[in-house]
Amino acid sequence: MFKRLKVKLNIFTITSILAGLFIIVPLLNILVRIFERPSDVWIHIRTYLLVEYLQNTVILITFVALLSGLLGFFAAFTVTRFEFKGRKTLAWMLILPLAVPSYIMGYVYADMFSFIGIVPRTLRDVGIDIRFNVMTMRSAIIIFVLTLYPYVYMLTRSALNKQNASYIESARLLGASKMKVLWRVVLPLARPALVAGILLVVLETLNDYGLVAFFNIQVFSFAIFNAWFSFGDVVSAIRLSAVLMVIVFVVVFLERAVRGKRRYHLSSKTRPVKRTPLRGYQNIYPFILWGVLVFAFFIPVLYLIYLAQFSRVGFFDLEMIYLIINSLSIALFATALIVIIAVMLANFARGRSSSFKKSWLKITNLGYAIPGAVLAIAVNIFFINTDQILYPIYRLFNPETGRLVLSLSLAMLVFAYVLRFMAIGYNSIEASYDKIGESFTEAAYALRASKLKTLLMVDVPLIKTGLISAAIIVFIDVVKELPLTLILRPADYNTMASKVYEYASDEMLTEASIPALILIFISSLMVFLLTHMKAKGGFTFVRKN
Amino acid sequence: MYVKIEDLGFSYVKKERVLDNISLSMREGEIVAILGSSGSGKSTLLRVLSGLEMPSKGNIVINEETLCASDIFVDAEKRQVGMVFQDYALFPHMNVEKNILFGLSHLPKSCRKERVNEMLEMIHMTEKLKSYPHELSGGQQQRIALARALAPNPKILLLDEPFSNLDADLKLKIRKELRQIIKKTHITSIFVTHDYDDAYDIADRIIYLENGHIVDETVVDHNQIKQ
Repeated sequence: MFKRLKVKLNIFTITSILAGLFIIVPLLNILVRIFERPSDVWIHIRTYLLVEYLQNTVILITFVALLSGLLGFFAAFTVTRFEFKGRKTLAWMLILPLAVPSYIMGYVYADMFSFIGIVPRTLRDVGIDIRFNVMTMRSAIIIFVLTLYPYVYMLTRSALNKQNASYIESARLLGASKMKVLWRVVLPLARPALVAGILLVVLETLNDYGLVAFFNIQVFSFAIFNAWFSFGDVVSAIRLSAVLMVIVFVVVFLERAVRGKRRYHLSSKTRPVKRTPLRGYQNIYPFILWGVLVFAFFIPVLYLIYLAQFSRVGFFDLEMIYLIINSLSIALFATALIVIIAVMLANFARGRSSSFKKSWLKITNLGYAIPGAVLAIAVNIFFINTDQILYPIYRLFNPETGRLVLSLSLAMLVFAYVLRFMAIGYNSIEASYDKIGESFTEAAYALRASKLKTLLMVDVPLIKTGLISAAIIVFIDVVKELPLTLILRPADYNTMASKVYEYASDEMLTEASIPALILIFISSLMVFLLTHMKAKGGFTFVRKN
Repeated sequence: MYVKIEDLGFSYVKKERVLDNISLSMREGEIVAILGSSGSGKSTLLRVLSGLEMPSKGNIVINEETLCASDIFVDAEKRQVGMVFQDYALFPHMNVEKNILFGLSHLPKSCRKERVNEMLEMIHMTEKLKSYPHELSGGQQQRIALARALAPNPKILLLDEPFSNLDADLKLKIRKELRQIIKKTHITSIFVTHDYDDAYDIADRIIYLENGHIVDETVVDHNQIKQ
C-alpha cells in the first residue's frame, strides 16, 4: 500500500490532487450555505421571480443551442464538402466572430438601432420612420448565436475533415440519396463534435453577464449579480447559483444520456472525402456565410472604428496603455499558469486509467461548466476564509495589517481564471498527448531520464503545437472574460473588458469603442495565429523500409 | 544467479491475472526469449521488469539489487534497464546522436560522444550520426534503438517484439546480427516474440508463456545449429 502510494506520489499527481481540491473546497463552501435560513430577499425571489428566471434561461439556451448548432454545422459542412473560390479564406474567417465578445456586439447593435442611432437616422432621412427595439430576448439570442457559433463550427469542421470517404461511398453504393447520406451517415458520425460544440455554446451563454445585464434580460447570471450586489444578499445569490448549477448538470446529463453507449470510432486509416464544386442552388451557401460574417464581425468592427474618431480617449493615452498592459499581463500570467498545470494534469491522466483518476480529472475540469457569477461567489468566499486563517501569519510580517490581504489582491482573480479555463487548456494538451502515445515517454524513463527531464526534453517538444494552441485559446478567453473580472478585480483595477463594460453601462459607447477595438484586434490576431499555425510540431514518423 | 524473478503477479483489473506466479532465473550474459501468442502476457512481463508497471506481488532481483519486493519498488528511470520498444520509440525530434546521448547524462561530458561513436561503430552506422529517425529504414531504426538502449550500459536489456515492424528478408538478416551484437556486449537480455524462429535463432533459452503462466522451457544449443 505504502509502496504504491510512494510511487504514485510525483509532481503530476500532487499538482492534480491540489487542482481538484482547489475547486472542490470553494464549491463545497458555498454548497453548505444553501442550508442557511432563507432571507426575506430569497422568499421574494422564490415567490415572484424564480419562475421568470427559469423560463427566460431555458428559452435563451434552447434557441441559442439550436440556432448555433444549425449555423455551425452548415458552415462546417459547406467549407469541408464543397470547393469554391475563397473557400480557404472563408474557412478561417468564420472563426473570427469568436474575437468579438457578445457584450460588445450587444452594445454596438443597441447603439446602431437606438432612436438616435445610425440606422433609424438614415431611414428617417429617406422618409421611413421605424422604431427598433433591439434590447429584447430575440436580439440577445441572435447575438449569442453570431458570437458563439464558431465553437460548433470549429469542432464540427474538424470532425467532418476526419470522416472517412468510404463510409459515404458505401452509403451511396447502397442506394442512399444525398440527403439520406447526410442524415444517416454524415450527421450521426459528426454528432459527438456537434454536441460538444453546442454544449460549449450553452455553457458560454449561461456564463454571460455583460449582454444580459445590458439588455435587462432576467436570466440566472443576471439574477445572481443582482441578489449579491443590489440586495447585498450572498445567501440568496448562492441559492440562485445552486439552481443554475442544477440546470447545468441537467444539460450535461442529458447530453451523456442521449449519447448512451454509442461509440463513433473511425478506422485508423481514413481517406478524406473529396470536395465537390457547388451546383445550382448550392452557389448561395458561401454568400450566406459571408453574410453571417458581415453581421458577426465586419459591421461591429467598422462601427467601432467609426465611433472611435469621436472618442475623448485616444489609442495612445496613458490610461489606454495601462489598460493594455493590465489586460495582457494578467492574461499572459494566467495562461502560463493554466498551461503548466494542464500539462501536469495531462501527465497524471496518462498511464493506467482508474475510476478515481477519471473522476478526479473531471473535477479539475469542472470550472468551465460553472457560470462566472457562481464561480466568483465561491472563490470570493474561499479567499476571505483563507485570509481569516492566514491572519496570524500576516501579523507576523506586518502587525498593522488588515484582515483581508489575498482577497484584495489580483491573486484572487488569477485563481478564478485558472479554475474557469483549466478545461480549455487541458483538453487541447491531452489531445496532443493522445496523438503521440506513451512509448516516447516510456523510452525516456527506460533511459534513466527523470520525470522533469522527460517532460522538458521529450514531451514538450513533441506536443509543442498542442501547447501553443492551448495557450492561444486560453489567452483569448481570459482577455475577453467579464463576469469574474468585474466581481473579483481589486478596487481601481481594470482590464480592457471591464473598462468596455464600465463605459458602456454609463452610456459612453464612444469611449468604449477604443478598448473594445483593441480587445477585438488582439483576439483576432490570436485567431489568425491559431488558424495559420503550421503543424510543425506534428513530427510525422515515416518509415522508409 | 544474475536475474532472479520470484512469484511475480500482475493484473490490470482485480481478479483478472495477466501474469501469475512467474519465476525465472538467468545467468549473466544469457539471452532468454519469452514466446507466446498475443494476450499471453509477454509484453506485460517486460513492462513489469522495466518498472513501467507495478506488479501485484513477487520479487525482482538483478545483480543482487532488489528492484521490487513487498516493500520496495525502484522507478523505471532508476532501474538501469535498457529497453527496445516494439515501435522503437526513437524521439522523432532528435537526430541519431541526440537520441543516443539522451540516456548518457550520467557519464562525464567528455565520454558521452565517445560512447555514441562506439555504439554506432558496433552497429556499423557511424555515417548516420546526424540523421533523423524518419530518414532511416526500418532495419536502421531498429539498430539505432538497440544502440540507444545499450549505450548507458544497462544491467539488463529488454526487447519487445523487436522484429514485428520488419519485412521477412530484413528480419532474417537482422536476427543473426542482433544475437552477435548482444553476445559481443555480454549483456543479459530478455526478448519477447510470438515467432518461434526468432526465439530459436537468438535465444539461449526459450520460455513459453500461456495465459500469464510459464508452461514450458527449452534450451537452444547454438553449436548444434551451426553444425
